[in-house]
Amino acid sequence: MSAEPAVTAPAEPVVTGRDRRRPGPEAWSWVFMRLSGLVLLFLALAHFAITHLLNDVVETDYRFVADRWSNPLWRGFDWLLLVLALGHGANGVRVVVGDYVRSPRARRAALGVLGGLTVAMAVAGTLSILTFEAP
Amino acid sequence: MSGPEAPAARTGRARPYRGRPGQWAFFAHRVSGVLVFVFLLLHVVDVSLVRWPDLYDDVHALYGNVALRLFEVGLLFALVFHALNGLRVIAVDLFPEAVARQERLLSAVVAVTVVAGVPGAVVILWPFVEGRLL
Repeated sequence: MSAEPAVTAPAEPVVTGRDRRRPGPEAWSWVFMRLSGLVLLFLALAHFAITHLLNDVVETDYRFVADRWSNPLWRGFDWLLLVLALGHGANGVRVVVGDYVRSPRARRAALGVLGGLTVAMAVAGTLSILTFEAP
Repeated sequence: MSGPEAPAARTGRARPYRGRPGQWAFFAHRVSGVLVFVFLLLHVVDVSLVRWPDLYDDVHALYGNVALRLFEVGLLFALVFHALNGLRVIAVDLFPEAVARQERLLSAVVAVTVVAGVPGAVVILWPFVEGRLL
C-alpha cells in the first residue's frame, strides 16, 4: 500500500492571456465547422448530384461550364461552395495535423504546406469563377 | 472531437470510448474528410483549366474512364457519410437525449449512406453496365 499524498491547498488557476469565459479561437472554429458543415451538406451534395447523377460526368464539359456560368447565381453558388469547402476542409486537416504530428518543426511545416495550398486554391478557384468569359 | 482520454490516463483501465462504434465513426469521419479535401484541391486545379477550353475538355474526359468513375463512387460514399455523420455529431453536441442514442444514430447514418450511395453508384457506373465493360 502506498501512502496517500498529503492534502494540499488547490493550486491557483493558471493565468492565461485571455478571459476564459469568453469564446476563444477554438470555440469559433467549433462554431464555424458546424455552420459551414450544415451549409455544405446542401451545397456539396447538390453539386455532386448535378455533376454526377443528373448529368453524366462526361457531359459536364467546357460547354456545360460556359452555360452554367452565364448565370451569375451559379457563379455565386460555386464560389460559396469553393470557399466554404476549402475553409471547412483546411480547418479539419489542421485539427488532424495537430493530433498526429507531434514534432513542432514537422507540425509547422505541415501547417505551412496546408495554408499555402489552401490559399493558392482559393485564389485559383476565385479567379476561375470571376474572370471566366463565356464564348 | 477528442475522446474522453483523461479518466483512462488516471486509472489506466477505464476506456469507455476505445473500440466502440463511436471511435470508428470518429476515425471514418476524419478519413472521409481528408479524402474529400484532397479531391477538392485536385478539382480546383482541373476546373482552373477552363481558361483553355480544349485542354479543359481533354483533362475532363479522363473523369469518364472506369477507374475514375470508381473513384467518384468512393467520393460519393465519403461525402454522404461525412455529411450525415456530421449531423450526428451536431445532434450529440446540442441535444443531451442524442448522446444516449448516438450508437443507434450511427447505425442510421451507415444505413442511409448505403441506401443513398448504392443507387448513386449504379448511376455513375451505368455507362459500363450498358457497355458490358463491367
